[in-house]
Amino acid sequence: MTERRIYLDYAASTPVNARVLERMRDVALSNCANPSSTHAAGREAQDIIAAAAGQLGRLLNVDPDTVVWTSGATESDNLAIGGSARHRAHRGRHLVTMKTEHKAVTDMFEALVKEGFEVTWVEPDGNGLVSPEVFAAALRDDTQLASIMFVNNETGVIQDIEALGAICRERDVLFHVDGAQAVGKLPVDLGALPVDLLSLTGHKFYGPKGIGALYIANRPGCRVEPILFGGGQQRRIRPGTLPTDLVAGLGMAAEVAATRIEADLKHLRGLRKALWDGIRSVDGLTLNGDPDGFPGILNVSVEDVEGESLLLALEPVCVATGSACNSKSQEPSYVLRALGRSDLQAQSAIRFSVGRQTTMEEVEFAAARYRDAVARLRKLAPGAVA
Amino acid sequence: MTRDPYNRPVRNLFAGPAHAGTLTDGVSIIVEDQGVRVELSARAEQGQLAAMRFRVWGCPHLIAATEWACDHYEAGPVQALEVFPAARIMEYLAVPTEKTGRILVLEDAIQALGRSLAS
Repeated sequence: MTERRIYLDYAASTPVNARVLERMRDVALSNCANPSSTHAAGREAQDIIAAAAGQLGRLLNVDPDTVVWTSGATESDNLAIGGSARHRAHRGRHLVTMKTEHKAVTDMFEALVKEGFEVTWVEPDGNGLVSPEVFAAALRDDTQLASIMFVNNETGVIQDIEALGAICRERDVLFHVDGAQAVGKLPVDLGALPVDLLSLTGHKFYGPKGIGALYIANRPGCRVEPILFGGGQQRRIRPGTLPTDLVAGLGMAAEVAATRIEADLKHLRGLRKALWDGIRSVDGLTLNGDPDGFPGILNVSVEDVEGESLLLALEPVCVATGSACNSKSQEPSYVLRALGRSDLQAQSAIRFSVGRQTTMEEVEFAAARYRDAVARLRKLAPGAVA
Repeated sequence: MTRDPYNRPVRNLFAGPAHAGTLTDGVSIIVEDQGVRVELSARAEQGQLAAMRFRVWGCPHLIAATEWACDHYEAGPVQALEVFPAARIMEYLAVPTEKTGRILVLEDAIQALGRSLAS
């Protein structure tokens, strides 16, 4: 490798913040106890975890006792959806979600279908948004749970969580939000938002991998059954020994984020604008998502260019593609297909995602590399296949 | 580190395809299948392939394989187009088995070019 790698895949994962790393190191070196132990070292571990819950609680404006630690957003989503649907199954078995949700959500709903639940899959509009009217129309008298993601991981589209949550409250439907791409990056005030369950993960906002959380509102009817068994930890909702250092790291990531969200957003807006300005002149370019979406993500498709070749031609820029064509699958993104993109458009999609450490120089380089790569591949191609 | 999906020959051939383009004074064929498109053009002089060019809409492995094939056949006899060393290319470029179909599209294109030049 001779060229410097340019990492523009912050929606996939973010670098660990220095203060987070320092906190994790201190905890890992100073306390090896099981937080469930009742001796002094165990109680100290419990205090560390309680402090982290306080930090996360302040970021989300919630009581720290409403936080359940998990291994990440996938587990949080599974626990929230599976645990609440099963808990309320005696009241009804109808559930609502969107076609553009993360696989951690859609696959959980598919699993519930096999258990006899019925799911309504709400269609987004061409920008990826769901209107409150369309959402409300999907709810039925026997609907028990709706799950909508805050920020879409592929397109950056921000849903109107306040409006959708208000509809759920009116209809006595539990409202789960996959907040993996939102927490620590956008203001998320759960003291004000009508959200019952919210999933998050540490590594999306400069914390460690392997640790996440589920917020469970302290209100009547908002309960989840465990999906893991083996101990009574965390009020029997999520058993298992907690990784004290990782929890402490997530807590510190939340504390850092609380002081930086506005500055980070300003930085991201500047980067996204520069990136978009740098590539918007490319013929046949389509923006995938809402122009007013999360500024850390820019997803574009381009005509007459094959996606896998585009990804290789973009090196050393590290981005995500709209298909899994680097793996054994050639399946185009189901999210972009749901937005009405053709297979070819979805297959040529590139997701740029920027973050705290991204520089203007890097996005300008990426934009230039994108323009060059598209031009080179078009010159090489006899037109796209029909 | 996870194995790179592209070996060094693929990366080199993809980065610098010396035979990319179209010959306006030659015979051209286009074959499209398996979600890819291969265009080959060639000019023959006294039974020899004087020049050969290609254009491809496809993945890096297919682009690399087509560039390799052009280099392989150019300056040789037209008759050589009847034989396509698919297994050799697959091995040299470490083409994943799930992409075998695309290499066979290239084989179809090479043989179609041979027939066009012979007729």
